[in-house]
Amino acid sequence: MHELTSGALLDALRGVHWPARRMSRGAFQGGHRSRRVGASPEFMEYRPYRQGDDPGRIDWKLFGRTERVAVRLSHDDSSLRTMIVLDASASMAFPAGTLAKWNAAAAIALGLTAVAHGDNDPVGISIATATPRVLPPRTRRGTVSDVLRALLDAVPGGSSPLAPLLAAARTSRRVAIISDFLGDADALHAVAREMLAGGAEVFAVHVIAAEELEPGEAPRVVTDPEDPALRRPLGPAELDLYRENFARWRSALAAGWRGAGAVYHEVAAADPADRVVRRVTGLTEPANRGS
Amino acid sequence: MSFLLPGFLAAAGAIASAVVILHFIVSREPDLLRLPTARFAPERAIQARARALEPSDLLLLAIRVALVLAAGAALARPVVSPPRRDLIRIVLLDRSRGAVTAREAVDSARGVLGPRDILILFDSAATVVASDGADSLSRLSLSERQGRLSTALISGLRSASQVRNQADSIELVVISPLAAEEIDAATDSLRNLWPAQIRFIRTTARSDSAAPVVTFDGSLEDPLRLALPVASTLPGVGATRLIRRLASTADSVWAAGAGHVLVVWPASREIPEGWVPRAGDTVGAVVAGRVVVVAPFTRRLASVPRNDRVVARWVDGAPAAVEAARGDGCIRTVTIEVPAIGDLVLETRFAQLVASLTGPCGGETASAPLDDVTMARLAGSFGSRRAPAAGFAQPDQAASPWARWLLLLAAVLAAAEMLLRRRIAR
Repeated sequence: MHELTSGALLDALRGVHWPARRMSRGAFQGGHRSRRVGASPEFMEYRPYRQGDDPGRIDWKLFGRTERVAVRLSHDDSSLRTMIVLDASASMAFPAGTLAKWNAAAAIALGLTAVAHGDNDPVGISIATATPRVLPPRTRRGTVSDVLRALLDAVPGGSSPLAPLLAAARTSRRVAIISDFLGDADALHAVAREMLAGGAEVFAVHVIAAEELEPGEAPRVVTDPEDPALRRPLGPAELDLYRENFARWRSALAAGWRGAGAVYHEVAAADPADRVVRRVTGLTEPANRGS
Repeated sequence: MSFLLPGFLAAAGAIASAVVILHFIVSREPDLLRLPTARFAPERAIQARARALEPSDLLLLAIRVALVLAAGAALARPVVSPPRRDLIRIVLLDRSRGAVTAREAVDSARGVLGPRDILILFDSAATVVASDGADSLSRLSLSERQGRLSTALISGLRSASQVRNQADSIELVVISPLAAEEIDAATDSLRNLWPAQIRFIRTTARSDSAAPVVTFDGSLEDPLRLALPVASTLPGVGATRLIRRLASTADSVWAAGAGHVLVVWPASREIPEGWVPRAGDTVGAVVAGRVVVVAPFTRRLASVPRNDRVVARWVDGAPAAVEAARGDGCIRTVTIEVPAIGDLVLETRFAQLVASLTGPCGGETASAPLDDVTMARLAGSFGSRRAPAAGFAQPDQAASPWARWLLLLAAVLAAAEMLLRRRIAR
């Protein structure tokens, strides 16, 4: 949690943008290229005036030169309503001593929130704690602080499903899911496919702890924090099979998300959060804005 | 060494045996890890792991066994008893105001006290002398308190219970002037609890024949002067001071001295502390102890209810004089108006009233020695002075100085066990 409150993360992400992956249909003025034709200063083409056009958009200088009555068309910019869906189930509270998974996920969520807010996009967050906490997308000043407070208040635990929170965010045009996908992965995937079919952008950020990749060779009984009834031995004899099963599942998970059209990133809990945010947002330099 | 509650020690031994057996037969599951990706581990049966005998485990076992045994031994209350003796004497030595000198009592006590006998000093309270009683006798001083034989008997009975396992028989010796004031309604009942004859050694009792020296500060015309003995009206440093005014700070300080009696008997209509004016009336008599004076006294003050001791009452029961303790002395406030007319102050009964009101703190003493019949009753009609030790009750809380140290040892072992267990778990 120190990374959240120190301000270093937000400093590292200053100037980073999160461009839309395709032209937006958003109705509000923003930083993303819209498919609407509007009245922004960026010229696109002339079209002859037709009955019903706004007379204010007639290019009178052109009329003076050519005596043709034409209206000036240009691309419109729109904002992208963004929702961060953050998994705060018991499986994220791992390892018990450091909570590295939860801390990394919370830092990534805060970083994406800050970047979206910096692009003037309405941004909100749904935190799937035992009692889910939802902050609807907003653009007003203080949104990042509100999200930070919500993250600091959240205590990972329980096994709240993510799918209902994602379904509640259908109106958002961009959704980032930060999770270990060990909960209701199938239901979550189904909702995400519907959103992708509706034109939304879905980012799946898969957080993995180093101890999950390499649990160590000491013979132990492992139990699922969200399902205590699941108890299995894990020692040198079982370790290879564990690694193989886990890797196969991760591959299938990545293929599933990517196949549905989502942007999937597998990140280690130990990775610096600002680097993860840069990877997720794709492009970082202001010169690339809107492209 | 013996144990007062040996059952606890037996129980501790059984528990320690169980701890040893469990230590060697219990197997354990491998350590548990909460792993979110546990589902990817292959489904196999969890096999219990036999406990390996490691040095650290043996140390842990030893600590656990020692912990159980120490706690059990502490609860069993071990006592180390000295060698059993034939006879133990319990000597009750009276140091109350009824005795004339301490030397006589000390000499008598030295004559009967043997090594490891028990010495109990008493006046209104009893004190068991912890160390060798004969050594501390040289510093004995008399007190100004009334002696209470009942208190001494209770203490003697308790001491007998404490030493019942150290001797075959116990003898009770009372060294006292045995004044009448030292016995009360409970004395006979308590004496009957002692299952043998009591040996009484009588010392010289103080006599109250001499009137106390009273320093009187009233005027020469004060009629109260006539009721006091002639000698006592002379200036002096007696233990009793009678003032005909309200008490000053200096008077109060003086009254706190040992055995000092300050009698505040205002001549004017000043209102002493603890009294309030009331509608004046005439009362037909006043009573102080066994003295009754019948005369038409004028009453103008009423006492405020306090914890003061009433030393004189009007015939209707209202207080006429009260006494309040002050340090080692007392202040006695008298509201009886002394008639300036008539010859009441010259009468013997009024002089007796004044003598009663100027007596020592705590009331008049009944220093007359006990009569022979009472003495014989107190000594008892048993054939022997030796009471069988087994006849005394077991003490409720026998002192077991080892118990606290064993409990402390158990606590230390518990802490060591916890630390070692954590270290092994890591």
